[in-house]
Amino acid sequence: MSATLARHKARERRRAVTLWLLAVSVTVFFFFPVYWMFSSAFKTDEVSSTFPPVFTFAPSMDNFVHLFLEAEAGKALWNSFFIVTIATLLAMIAGTMAAYALARFDIKGKNAMAIEILSVRMLPPIVSVIPLFMIARWLGIFDTPWLLIAVYTLSGLPFVVWIMRVFIQDIPQSVEEAAMIDGCGRIEAFWRVTLPLLLPGLAATMVIVFMFAWNEFLLASLLTSSDAKTLPVIAANAIKPKAIAFGLACAAGVIMSMPVIVLVLMMQKYLVQGLTLGAVKG
Amino acid sequence: MAESAIRSATVHAGAAKAQRAGEKWAPWILLAPTLVIMNVVGVYPLLHSLYISFTGAKPTDPNAHQGWVGLKNYAEVVSDGQFWHAVLVTGGFTALSVVSSLVLAVLMAILFNRPLPGFVLMRSLILIPMLVTPIAVGLIWRIMMMPELGVLNYLFGIVGLGPFQWGSSRGSALASVVLVDVWQWTPFMFIIIFAGLKSLPRSPFESAQIDGASGWQTFWQVTVPMLKPVIVIAVLLRLIDAIRTYDTIYIITRGGPDFVTDVVSIYLQRVNFRFFDLGYGSALSWVTMLLILAVVLIFVNLSGFLRIVNEKEAR
Repeated sequence: MSATLARHKARERRRAVTLWLLAVSVTVFFFFPVYWMFSSAFKTDEVSSTFPPVFTFAPSMDNFVHLFLEAEAGKALWNSFFIVTIATLLAMIAGTMAAYALARFDIKGKNAMAIEILSVRMLPPIVSVIPLFMIARWLGIFDTPWLLIAVYTLSGLPFVVWIMRVFIQDIPQSVEEAAMIDGCGRIEAFWRVTLPLLLPGLAATMVIVFMFAWNEFLLASLLTSSDAKTLPVIAANAIKPKAIAFGLACAAGVIMSMPVIVLVLMMQKYLVQGLTLGAVKG
Repeated sequence: MAESAIRSATVHAGAAKAQRAGEKWAPWILLAPTLVIMNVVGVYPLLHSLYISFTGAKPTDPNAHQGWVGLKNYAEVVSDGQFWHAVLVTGGFTALSVVSSLVLAVLMAILFNRPLPGFVLMRSLILIPMLVTPIAVGLIWRIMMMPELGVLNYLFGIVGLGPFQWGSSRGSALASVVLVDVWQWTPFMFIIIFAGLKSLPRSPFESAQIDGASGWQTFWQVTVPMLKPVIVIAVLLRLIDAIRTYDTIYIITRGGPDFVTDVVSIYLQRVNFRFFDLGYGSALSWVTMLLILAVVLIFVNLSGFLRIVNEKEAR
């Protein structure tokens, strides 16, 4: 009896170890390319182009120096930061206002409006590029940050409206009404009572909107020519007609990805709800 | 004393009424910025592009007729073999990518749905691919996939496989870009499905166990039906994004070799911005948009997406 029990236990343990190893190999599959990008960013081109590839080497900052001195990455970094921050803030403010209206007021055509806002999310960006390109030329804002700010505000809006609507609906209306009975106006009630409760949701939404605008390439590459180039556009230049500038590509990848990785891993708790437009709780 | 109390009460009631009267417009004031941005930056360019699609606009060719051409562009789209080839490639790419990442994500969610040492760290590491800028994803995979110098062929070589040509041969290019897409977006499906799995009630699983159901039976008859709403949402969001994939394919193969990875977004970009055939390009864009809309609507209808969302609202 006890022998079978021991055998059973041993089998359970073997099973647990197998599954754990499986989980580790899944993790390695997903993490290895990221590790390779980070480590290659600190290799000189000489080290990068040896075969077989090396896993230990003396780290060098050459690629980053080169990126900022010659490839104009400093300016692109500033452009990305400026454009994406302003667009994110605009989308957050306008979108949260709209979400509040959709969540708290009884308006005709409310669902139709929500669907219309969502369909912006489905639009392939290439469709509106041509008219935007022509309008921008005509207004003289081609290759300025303002064009991309307008575009990224638009693409962030549906996210904000849909996610914040769910977050606002989750806060019982009675909380606000209690404040209004105590003599607050609706705006004051929102500011003092609802907003503080919304802060985590706002932060998570902001991170997601920031991420999508920060990573965007197609529109940025077609709607800028030199002055307003963003980081992904500069990074894509690492591909030369005949070869790839390894180190440059990886260093640019590291600089682009770090802010998003740090921000999102900090906000993991609300990430799922944000990414599914509020439909799935994490 | 009593008089002033009454007066302050009437003042209060009056204020409340005024507030409510003022609130008639409040929702519209709140919605105004969003509606203005959406219509000026979103809807207006769209309508403008509809207009361009009926013209022969081609700024690089002053001799061409730039004005109204009626349905000529649309007639050309119908007989544009290159475009329909791109549609097929996009369909294949999307189907392969969405199905593989769904299967992988479900398996991973089940694998991680038990206490594992180091779980929190593993989950964070698995999340990272979806956060890396798509351009950087393209660059790093292109570097890793280089036939002579790439680390992938080195690693496969150790276990006696390869060397593979990855993105540079006709046979493996589509599979390579699908692999990259699956690598980048499976984490997205995984965290959504995992969250769904965690939020399922315990009791149906317990009764299945009491009834003596095997693991396999439990999976198909209990887990999958209960996860369906979450899976539908994850697949819909993934579908919308996979159809418009551009960045990674642009970096890794640029649609080549021999157009085997020439998805619609790459083809559209070529027509519009290399040849500046804006009238024809706009017609292509509109046809593409209608096709995407059709696919999404079919999926929404088949999967009961709206029912799922409305149930969420009702709760």
